[in-house]
Amino acid sequence: MARYAMVTDLRKCVACQACTVACSAEWAVPAGHARTHVRTTPLAGSFPNLTSSPVVGQCNQCDHPPCVEPCPSGATYQDAGGIVRVDTDVCIGCGFCVDACPYEARFINPRTKKVDKCDFCRPRIERGEVPACVATCTAHAKYFGDLEDRNSEVSRLVFRDGARRMETRTVAVGPNVFYLGRPEHLDLVLSSYPPRPPRLLTAGAAWTRLLKPLVLAMVGMTFAGQAVAFFTQLHKGEGDFEE
Amino acid sequence: MTRRRFLGTAATLGAGAVAVPAVASPTVHPPGWSGTARVEKIATTCEMCFWRCGVLASVEGGKVVRVEGNPDHPQNQGRLCARGNAGTGLLHDPDRLKTPLLRVGERGEGRFKPVSWDEALDFLAGRLVKLRDEHGPESVAFFPHGNGARFFATLMRAYGTPNSAEPSFAQCRGPREVGYSLTFGQGLGSPEPVDLEEARLVVLIGSHLGENVFTSQITAFATGLARGAKLIAVDPRFSLAASKADWWLPIRPGTDIALLLAWMNVLIAEDLCDKEYLKTYASGFDRLANHVREFTPEWAEAITEIPAAKIRETARAMGKAKPAVAVHPGRHVTWYGDDTQRARAMAILTALLGSWGRKGGIFLPTPIPRGSFDLPDFPEPKRGRADGAGKRFPLAIEELGVTNGLIDATLSGDPYPIKAWIVYGQNMLESIPQPARTVEAIGKLDLMVVVDVLPVEQIKYADLVLPEATYLERYDPPTIVESAKRPFIAVRSPACEPLYESKPGWWIAKELAKRLKLEAFFPWDTPEQHLEKILKPTGFGARELLNRGAVAFPGKPYLEDRAPVDRTFDTASGKIELYSEALAKIGADPLPRYTPPVEPPKGFFRLIYGRAPVHSFARSQNNEALDALMSENEVWLATSVARDWGVTEGQRIVLENVEGVKSSPVRVKVTEGIRSDCAYLVHGFGQQSRALRRAFGRGASDNSLMSRVSVDPLTGGTGMRVNFVRAARA
Repeated sequence: MARYAMVTDLRKCVACQACTVACSAEWAVPAGHARTHVRTTPLAGSFPNLTSSPVVGQCNQCDHPPCVEPCPSGATYQDAGGIVRVDTDVCIGCGFCVDACPYEARFINPRTKKVDKCDFCRPRIERGEVPACVATCTAHAKYFGDLEDRNSEVSRLVFRDGARRMETRTVAVGPNVFYLGRPEHLDLVLSSYPPRPPRLLTAGAAWTRLLKPLVLAMVGMTFAGQAVAFFTQLHKGEGDFEE
Repeated sequence: MTRRRFLGTAATLGAGAVAVPAVASPTVHPPGWSGTARVEKIATTCEMCFWRCGVLASVEGGKVVRVEGNPDHPQNQGRLCARGNAGTGLLHDPDRLKTPLLRVGERGEGRFKPVSWDEALDFLAGRLVKLRDEHGPESVAFFPHGNGARFFATLMRAYGTPNSAEPSFAQCRGPREVGYSLTFGQGLGSPEPVDLEEARLVVLIGSHLGENVFTSQITAFATGLARGAKLIAVDPRFSLAASKADWWLPIRPGTDIALLLAWMNVLIAEDLCDKEYLKTYASGFDRLANHVREFTPEWAEAITEIPAAKIRETARAMGKAKPAVAVHPGRHVTWYGDDTQRARAMAILTALLGSWGRKGGIFLPTPIPRGSFDLPDFPEPKRGRADGAGKRFPLAIEELGVTNGLIDATLSGDPYPIKAWIVYGQNMLESIPQPARTVEAIGKLDLMVVVDVLPVEQIKYADLVLPEATYLERYDPPTIVESAKRPFIAVRSPACEPLYESKPGWWIAKELAKRLKLEAFFPWDTPEQHLEKILKPTGFGARELLNRGAVAFPGKPYLEDRAPVDRTFDTASGKIELYSEALAKIGADPLPRYTPPVEPPKGFFRLIYGRAPVHSFARSQNNEALDALMSENEVWLATSVARDWGVTEGQRIVLENVEGVKSSPVRVKVTEGIRSDCAYLVHGFGQQSRALRRAFGRGASDNSLMSRVSVDPLTGGTGMRVNFVRAARA
């Protein structure tokens, strides 16, 4: 089984946003939203002794993804490669997972009204390609691969070179996006953009558990309705079928 | 199109009748397919900026749906910056120029009627004939930019005018090319051959790599840093590069030559130069040593405000890392009017470290063969160039010309009247300082023609506007890049048919040539024939280049790759000229000297400017994807300055220069990351063309605030960092 991971080398990253635009072009993400976001930390220190670092954020495909449980329809799940996925056929766009994500990596896509996020370009991986952000990275700062494969580049960067996870004592959900960089830069990134405690993990989780069967039933009913409509349409013939 | 290569095999996936909820069913398409649609990938060359990266354009049903880096391209190897990735946004920009436009109202009103190409070209050809008869062909000035302009350049030469000038000289790289040529016998070209990936030490003087993005240069820069290269960033602003630097030297603006002289002083005084190299290749060392003796770090500290100890420390780091020291020559270098001398100082520093032609320094171009057409003789203009290149500006490179020289001539009628401008692919009101003068000069013209893709501000003043096809819809003359470790020839070819009524530049130039009876200068019928001829001596065919996008040749980037007899320099002495006889001969300083910059009046701050990674000059602000990432610029103010001005983060203010010119409102960014004697803007915003619906009025235009220039007497380059601003009462 694969455990897909990404490593971003912040010593190389220049915050050029090539990844952001490549990703949005690949997945037709509406302008104003993005699956990956590039920031530069606020400056630490005072003139002329200053520190700052670029950082690239995206879904961390966590080992223990806090976004799965709050999802009332079961649309969010973790696949066999450890990638956290959204089944958009099932997603109802409620946004609970958006609130639950510690890394602000999810958003409601205004065109589809469904939740949208990075899935490490799953379809590209299936084709044997690397994610679009990795393919285009001008600084060659992004690495993608399988942590289970001890010979992979990401394994070396994580296990040998000590690429770090952006997690804190309070929010440790096993992110699979790792960072290399000068220690003072990584510290600054983490203190500038600490993972946010998931908002629904405790109180919310309880009632979403109750809610889940209900929503599932509703989704099931909607689906059944669509199926009926589909077969009715099929029966009526293609001539009437208008998009 | 027969040349198009269909990728992959023809196969469709059986479509699942009904998707099952909550079960992973990733849609997997075989290569060359997207769903049930066959996808073509056309290899071509990007023009979101002028670095000329290779791209693959995915075409579905005749429509370009995605642009990616071409993995086989020798320059960018599959990588592409934000702008390159946003290429389809230019192609599908709803504000594009769609038909030829003929002015109906007064000039400057911006009222046009759409006309047919026949009408537009007949009109233009008629006017050009009349101008030639009445005022001579020299009365027509041409302002080109980019690769596509070359067919027009041929046309203008055939027509008989010598007056052609690109902003890439006098507003960008001109003084650099001249300064390095004086020293090493050759300029740098573009891309500049800086061996960032092999460097042990990188020196950036005002170059803000990372914010200024050229894909392969960023790759080399990041690779060098990852391999452990040290970095010195000289910049009044805490740039992205400064955040990665081992030494950030926040220099007092305009004093770079003093720093460079002090570095030379230390290298020579402490015996840190590459003596063997200098002995073999250079002349004038003793005169240089004598010259810099007085320019100690202590002397420079008082001028640059960089501590003498830091100057010594950084000079020693250079001495230690030599010859693998990449002193980046910069790109936009027209700052203070002494720019050729600053470039000279950087070239001399490079020579002292033995870095020219050495691994980790500046590598050398490798010539590659090219074919040419047997054209009729171009008419010899009766009158010489009007822009002063070769005369008023003795060292300006005539092939590139001096834009501001042509504007001066248009205003004054001296040396003779200029009656018409043909502007191709450059936005003069954003790219050339003193825009009010440019508008005034346009007022003197009988004819103003703009060939462009987007309705940039200057079309308001045009008599005729010709809509060009974008880079994704047209063939351009092949790009021949010799200043690469593996020199290459690349091609731009259409991925789709031109949208609307737009036409490729080659077609426009050729159609005009027909009407002007100059067809003999275009002895080919199709772009492919044109390409075939140019490629003839290379051994590659047009079809192969069109399929692959680029072909590379073996390079000899370092001196050591060349036989000792070939290690020569194209200067008068055949050596690297530390002391320039050529400059002495024209009465200029043969060794660089520090001249103090013009100081701001009380209460004003120096306006400095630079680039952002998601925009190209003033060309990309209307692009949907790029606008979403950066829709306006901010004015950077030091914390103490913001306090003095009484402004706060995010507040919108109006900037006013010494001449009373006011900017459009711009947000304030309060930061510790800038010196307290300057204010910084990203270039290209504050555009005033209402027809660019996204870009219009967003942020402030640095160019609009450039009422003053300090002209480099050697090249005509316009020093642009001599303008001063304050917060105006809006």
